[in-house]
Amino acid sequence: MIGAGVKRGTAELAVLSILEDGPLHGYEMARRIEEQTKGALRFTLAALYPMLYRMEQRGWIRGAWETSSSSGRRRRRYRLTPAGKKKLSPLRREWAELFGALRRLTKVSHA
Amino acid sequence: MRDWEGLVDGRLAGLVLEPAERAEVIAELAAHLAETCEEWRRQGLPEKEAVRRTLSEVENWQNLRRRIQIARTKENIMTNRVKQFWLPSLVTMLFTMGLLALIQIFGPNPWMVARHERNAWSLVAPVAVIYLPWLLSLPLVGALGAFLSFRSGGSQRAVFSSVVFPVLPYLLFFVVALPVMAIFNEHLAHNIMFGALFVGLFVWVLAPATALLAGGLLAKTFLSRRLDPRRIVSS
Repeated sequence: MIGAGVKRGTAELAVLSILEDGPLHGYEMARRIEEQTKGALRFTLAALYPMLYRMEQRGWIRGAWETSSSSGRRRRRYRLTPAGKKKLSPLRREWAELFGALRRLTKVSHA
Repeated sequence: MRDWEGLVDGRLAGLVLEPAERAEVIAELAAHLAETCEEWRRQGLPEKEAVRRTLSEVENWQNLRRRIQIARTKENIMTNRVKQFWLPSLVTMLFTMGLLALIQIFGPNPWMVARHERNAWSLVAPVAVIYLPWLLSLPLVGALGAFLSFRSGGSQRAVFSSVVFPVLPYLLFFVVALPVMAIFNEHLAHNIMFGALFVGLFVWVLAPATALLAGGLLAKTFLSRRLDPRRIVSS
């Protein structure tokens, strides 16, 4: 079973990576992550928002309200802050090292 | 059109944030649910099924409330611990000890009640006029401690730990101090020590802890029911 720390780490990496392409609101973020990982990573509302608020408290992302021109609905759009961009590089490196080590250990290679 | 904001507001009833901040969280989660439901409808699901699937985004609203509370709280973890455990613990301790002192000072004098007679009533009087009223007031104190801890987003462990906190000094006294005194103090009557230990543990630890927990459990159940998803779904 994957521990909470690992899950949290992958989830934070996913959010920071997806926001690197541009600001998104929570629902869009969840959908993009699900699409880009072909359903391997799925964020429910309950998993996503406490994490977004925690990341915002740490100063990695910043949310701002805006009104959608098409639906008129107010939504909170998150963007990566300079601190978040700075956090992304070492996080990527750590995960690349971890996956590389696991690949070597389990001898699992790309299909 | 469904009132998603009303629904989220009801389910996160125990979320304690600044009013503007709370309104923002509710609006944001409601917008997410509304979009999820619209997506299910676009995919051709009937409204009832779309709503059901949308609501399955959150299995446990109480847990979500607690996690949002922790994530949005600006203070550090230490401050959360103070609010969720230490403050409720000290309040229950203060009320537990304060009530005992008040009953002793302002309540009827057990020796006056017993009228200096050397009978069974003179033994029962202190219990009847001091101990029992105090014990009966403890469920209220336990409920207060549980309310304070739960309101601050305390976990079940934090809630019940703060509720039974006032009996810990007594427990320490009977489990540690009394046996140590028995070993080192030769003036203590050792033949009654075991009896005193068990009676003391029952009277000053077990019974008060049960009374405090009874109140705490009732308060916790009541507060949890207010946030029970099934209850809010049906509303």
